[in-house]
Amino acid sequence: MAEQFRKPVVDQIYTLNLGPQHPSTHGVLRMLLDLDGEYIVKADPTIGYGHRGHEKMGENRTYKQFMPNTSRMDYLSGMLYNHGFALAVEKLAGIEVPARARYIRVICAELNRISSHLLWFGTYVMDLGGFTPFLYAFDDRERILDLLDRVSGSRLTYSYCRFGGVARDVDSGFVEGTRSFLQRLRSRFPDYHSLVTENVIFIYRTRGVGVVPAELARQYGVTGPNLRACGIAYDVRKVEPYEVYDRFEFEVPVGVNGDALDRYNVRLAEMEQSCRIIEQALDQLPPGPYLNEKAPFRVRPPKGEVYQAFESARGLTAYYLVSDGSACPYRCHIRVPSFGNLHVLEEVLKGTLVADAISILGSIDVVVPEIDR
Amino acid sequence: MARLNEVLEKLRQILPADTLSFRDPSRTGTSCCARVGLDRVREVASIFARGGFFLESLTGLDFQDSKELVYHFNTYEPGARVAVRVLCPHGEAAPTLSDLFRSASWQEREVWEFFGIPFAGHPDLRPLLLPEDADFHPLTKTFGVVNAYRKREEIYG
Repeated sequence: MAEQFRKPVVDQIYTLNLGPQHPSTHGVLRMLLDLDGEYIVKADPTIGYGHRGHEKMGENRTYKQFMPNTSRMDYLSGMLYNHGFALAVEKLAGIEVPARARYIRVICAELNRISSHLLWFGTYVMDLGGFTPFLYAFDDRERILDLLDRVSGSRLTYSYCRFGGVARDVDSGFVEGTRSFLQRLRSRFPDYHSLVTENVIFIYRTRGVGVVPAELARQYGVTGPNLRACGIAYDVRKVEPYEVYDRFEFEVPVGVNGDALDRYNVRLAEMEQSCRIIEQALDQLPPGPYLNEKAPFRVRPPKGEVYQAFESARGLTAYYLVSDGSACPYRCHIRVPSFGNLHVLEEVLKGTLVADAISILGSIDVVVPEIDR
Repeated sequence: MARLNEVLEKLRQILPADTLSFRDPSRTGTSCCARVGLDRVREVASIFARGGFFLESLTGLDFQDSKELVYHFNTYEPGARVAVRVLCPHGEAAPTLSDLFRSASWQEREVWEFFGIPFAGHPDLRPLLLPEDADFHPLTKTFGVVNAYRKREEIYG
């Protein structure tokens, strides 16, 4: 017995359950951390609490019936998921989309991207102990939700896209509202930077923390802002432009070191680029129909398959649909970015402090229901 | 396109010409599709791994006559996505790629729990998203509500 007490403390590895106390807690991610004192020896994310079987549901629902499911996978970027699914089915079934609808989709998708990044910004800074920026971010995000609510009727789970267009047209109120929102958001960026970006406590909690080297990112299939923070300018909107993204001028912000601070900077810069895209789309917004009237009511794509990749707020997302010629897909697979983005943590967290783990987890920006599907 | 061409060159050396089919990436999302046997998956995957590709997606398909694994490899270049399709007869195991791509360890766990395709050599085949005591494979076409259970040739024939 006495021998046991004389052992050096560093030999004692204990397991900490970092995670929800209740399964209904938002974004239920549970991590089992093996700790040596304050240092993490092994991190094992336990996921699956939010598994609803979306892929199975996709296989026994018609294409149209699956549309509401798509916005429930990543509930923070539902519009982007709707958009990607509509693109996939349109490509599979060969449905034309009118120009106006394409622009409306891009505007709404980019608004949704900004709202997702704003929510991440607020909650991340709150995780690090700063409460005020959270209120700023939610104030701005609320205005985006109002705009999207105006066109789609929902605040989070939009189901706004249709095969061949969008559910309803945008009015001048939306266009004017979006323009004034962009102006307002641009005036808020300096506040964000002086509140957070230049905050020395924030910098010390993020600089050099949770470094993801580019090779590790490749190994784990990390995409999105997390990959761009490593210095690789990979954005699906640029590399394989879908919809009308090739008609806009925008940059792909990249980082240098791949640490939490770079991931933060990339996301903030991305919001500004999204503003640029929306502005150009509003300027170019053509008149005309918002929905292809000739699109079939009941979609029955020919036999075959399609792999439609798009850039969601968290990275490369893709729908892999296999059609057997019937009204339901034979296979409906969804490649989600958070899967790789979370998986890489098992390597990144090794040897870091528990306090840094909170910062790293936040900076990766995972939405667990999209992994669980 | 440099990396893609490099990899395709190496694939041509080891695979028969009729197993590689080229497609229009703007219509299908993939620029090339390679049909590979179970015994050569690791050989093909290591070419992608050395060529700077990442394993973007791994999923399964369940047909009456066989199961099929679909790997999507991609790199940070336009139009570089390649699909690798592997027929895996019911009840057979596929070789693991988890030593070539770190991401494969989770992706294979997911395919195992949903399709019941075991991966030989995988270090830790616990269920990932399903409960730890799950003994069913929900995405097989013999589980739960199923719209259609077809032979492979009915879709790809």
